[in-house]
Amino acid sequence: MRRLLAIATVVAFASTAQAHQLNVFAFVQDGTVIVETKFSSGKIPVSGEARVLDANSEVILTLPLEEDGTVRFPLDLEVASGGMTIEVTTGEGHDDYWILTPEDIANGSES
Amino acid sequence: MPLSTFSRRATLGLMLSTVAMPVLAQERPVVAAANYPLAYFAERLGGGAADVLFPVPADADPSFWRPGIADIAAIQSADVIALNGAGFATWPTKASLPRSRTVNTSAGFSERLIKTDTVTHSHGDGGQHSHTDTASYTWLDFTLASEQAGTLADAMMRQMPDQADAIAANRDALLGDLAGLNTHAATVGATAGSTAIITSHPRYQYFGAAYGLDISAVDWDANEDPSAAQWAALEDTIAATGAAVFIWEAEPATASRERMATLGLTDVVFPPLANRPAEGDFLTLMETSLQQLEAVLRDR
Repeated sequence: MRRLLAIATVVAFASTAQAHQLNVFAFVQDGTVIVETKFSSGKIPVSGEARVLDANSEVILTLPLEEDGTVRFPLDLEVASGGMTIEVTTGEGHDDYWILTPEDIANGSES
Repeated sequence: MPLSTFSRRATLGLMLSTVAMPVLAQERPVVAAANYPLAYFAERLGGGAADVLFPVPADADPSFWRPGIADIAAIQSADVIALNGAGFATWPTKASLPRSRTVNTSAGFSERLIKTDTVTHSHGDGGQHSHTDTASYTWLDFTLASEQAGTLADAMMRQMPDQADAIAANRDALLGDLAGLNTHAATVGATAGSTAIITSHPRYQYFGAAYGLDISAVDWDANEDPSAAQWAALEDTIAATGAAVFIWEAEPATASRERMATLGLTDVVFPPLANRPAEGDFLTLMETSLQQLEAVLRDR
């Protein structure tokens, strides 16, 4: 939890002043990759999809956003060993991404 | 669980090997930098006792660079991660960075950050809304550059306590050089008087504000010839401002410079140096740009 808080703090101070940009955050917890999306205004995207890319930038998974703006999928360590990039495009036309490095994945897998 | 020393060094070894660093370089502390000015400051402060990681390709704009997984892994592993802040670059918001090793070098002067134009638009069913942005080329005010260098020095001394004395000495020399740039820039401002200036891109807000320059901007891509519409917009800006001097952020095509002369503008190239130059360094190139701008303003 402390690690997640630290991450959130860094993201907060580094973010730009744009009023309603899409923010994507992803982490691994108990063998599940959890993707959270939210506009900087606080609103949740009403629709959209998440594309999961492997270390070679190949799309390995495409999933729709749930009603709460999240996506969850089981971690495949074999596919994810080189890290993952998660790209999200919303129905409103915004997009953003989050990078999970091998260290991020390893740390989450061990939690 | 924090990154282990072994895995951090392994990641760094992989990244540094791609930039042909000496084999022993992985034993030294690493400072990752979000733009070239910070990389230059880190190189000066480290004085050879630290490796500087600036992974943005030479042909990329660091403001918009999107790193790969390996880039982020290497940055995460650095001993100090130097961010510009002020909204410069979005990648720091797209990955987890270790808070204890990350430093926002403009955090100490947040009240001096310059807000830029607000754009209001609408799309989808979200209604009308606005984007307000922050000018991010803070280092073009050399007093702010000095504050950034000082903040970076503090972070490096915390992470490399055995090098603290050397970093402090290097910091003093660097701050002296930046003070020299600041003095010269103030002279340029005094020489300009009320002369209006147009820049090829809105990246000189801090330079204009710090040194009393009357600067307007068009928004031209540094690597493309301006379109007919862009030339027309420039003529409108000239008419509105009475500008006599034009600043290019990068060397333009010869034809563009010739056309600029027909519009009655004297032009000069003044790279803001967000990315590493092919030749020269931050100090020498900034000094050259100031000399050239001063000469143009004096000869008017």
